[in-house]
Amino acid sequence: MDFFLHLVVTIGLWIPISMGYTLLFGKGQVMHFGPIGVSVACGYAIFVTLGATGSYIAGIAMGILVGTAVSLIFAWLALRLENDGLGVMSIAVHLAAMVIVLNWTDVTRGALGIPRIPRMPFLETLPMFALAVTLASLFWIALFVWADRSALGRQMQALSESESFAKAMGVSRAKVHTIAFVLLGLAIVSDNVFFAQYIHLLHPNDYHFPTFIFLLAIVVAGKPGSMVGAVLSSILLVLLREGLRFIDLPISVLGPMRLLLFGVILLTAVYVRRDTLFPQKRTV
Amino acid sequence: MQLLVNALIAGSLAALLSAGLSLVYGVLGVFNLALGQFALTGGYVTWWLHVSIGLPLPVSILGGVIVAAIVTWIAFEVSVAPFYRRHVFLPLVTTIAFSMILDALILLLFQERPYSIIAVKHSLHFAGVYISVEQIFLIAFTIVFLCAVAWVLHSTSLGRKIRATVQHSDAARSLGISSALLHRSVFIASGILAALGGIYLGIDQNLTPQLGFPLTIKAYAALIAGGKDNFWGTIVCAYLIALLEQLAIGLPWWGGDYIAAGFQSVVALLFIIVVLLLKPRGLFSGLRRAI
Repeated sequence: MDFFLHLVVTIGLWIPISMGYTLLFGKGQVMHFGPIGVSVACGYAIFVTLGATGSYIAGIAMGILVGTAVSLIFAWLALRLENDGLGVMSIAVHLAAMVIVLNWTDVTRGALGIPRIPRMPFLETLPMFALAVTLASLFWIALFVWADRSALGRQMQALSESESFAKAMGVSRAKVHTIAFVLLGLAIVSDNVFFAQYIHLLHPNDYHFPTFIFLLAIVVAGKPGSMVGAVLSSILLVLLREGLRFIDLPISVLGPMRLLLFGVILLTAVYVRRDTLFPQKRTV
Repeated sequence: MQLLVNALIAGSLAALLSAGLSLVYGVLGVFNLALGQFALTGGYVTWWLHVSIGLPLPVSILGGVIVAAIVTWIAFEVSVAPFYRRHVFLPLVTTIAFSMILDALILLLFQERPYSIIAVKHSLHFAGVYISVEQIFLIAFTIVFLCAVAWVLHSTSLGRKIRATVQHSDAARSLGISSALLHRSVFIASGILAALGGIYLGIDQNLTPQLGFPLTIKAYAALIAGGKDNFWGTIVCAYLIALLEQLAIGLPWWGGDYIAAGFQSVVALLFIIVVLLLKPRGLFSGLRRAI
């Protein structure tokens, strides 16, 4: 039962970020490769503040502030750069965030991470935690499905198909993309509030590049831009990843094997979806 | 003076990596995010041949370069060729996937321990500057190699084909330049340049599997800052960023305090952001010929 609840929590934690990312990367075709960079900034903002003040409300407020600020920086870069340049620069921002976390040891404890993170009073048991994560996840599913079907989703798609035509129809790229970046940033804050509490530890290893590869594999495998696909793909890939625990391999082999597996899955998923991931522009 | 020498050493490594990137971007129009892993492949294979097998260093370097060239060719066929004609952004995703596969293989074969190709370095001290014989050789080699690339680009038939394709790929193809062969050649050449960078790193410092992406990003910082398809602008920016990194940690700042060396790699990012604020298309983008 505990393992089932663990799966519920893990899937519930991946769904909001994968839906936010499929809206931005899949539907909007914005080459934002830094969501885990936003995540590391939010995670440390929340739990460093919690450690300093002892208040979850202050921690979450700081997380929202930092998540929004970093998302706005990425949105600014997206408006400033060509799409492929943004891809590279967003990885650079992610790496820079990691460098700061690993070297600002007075505040972050560097590679040791922040241990003994307390859970909120009403989340101390696993069933309650799973229920809270599920409710949060349902909220984000509803929000992203609404966003996808609203003017925002249509404008994102229009901008990705032809920016000049979309602009001629009065669509503001700055406004639409900024909203999408901020929505993704807030979903990431929500994930971070739960994740470190769940394992009682905030550790930089959880924010390295393989985490992003897993996210990218979820979005590409689930059909880019599809909200249903993102949810189903989150469920399937989390089950696959957690299932690997049962293979009897030493930990020094299991980590690279996992990396290898998700690298191959991503490559295969892009191959299968090569006509829909970045489709040829429609011509008149 | 020591900071300038250090910048020359670090800049030479970045120049080798970013030179290949610039050629690939110019000719194919794609970003290759597995470049750092090609560098590590060259470095690790050279280490294995030299330290584990006991082959002489020049033979080991040759072996490292050949294996990296083969891996680069496989990477092209698997993660670039099926995709880049459909959309130039697809290889950005597929090369990330390929880089993860290479990272996993490097971790499985060599584990996380740091390795150095040469254990003992022969240090020299003159005019208040410390530099090793190996570093002098590496700097000289990089400069000679880049001059050779310049000669190929500007004085040979292959170079003219490359430059023609960079300037206008459709016009070049209509004149009979075989784009398929040229694309593979340039991509493999970029892998060889990266492998030389990785061997350079393994001789001068240590190789660790985590270096892949930081190496790639540093090279891309030079590429974006230099103007994405300006080869010489990229080289200049590689050295410029290395100099800024050295100045950032080597000079006293507020109240005589120094910035910790760990923050050095953030300098390249800040540099790019400032460049993008001032010149979004790169420092040397206006110097390129256009048709």
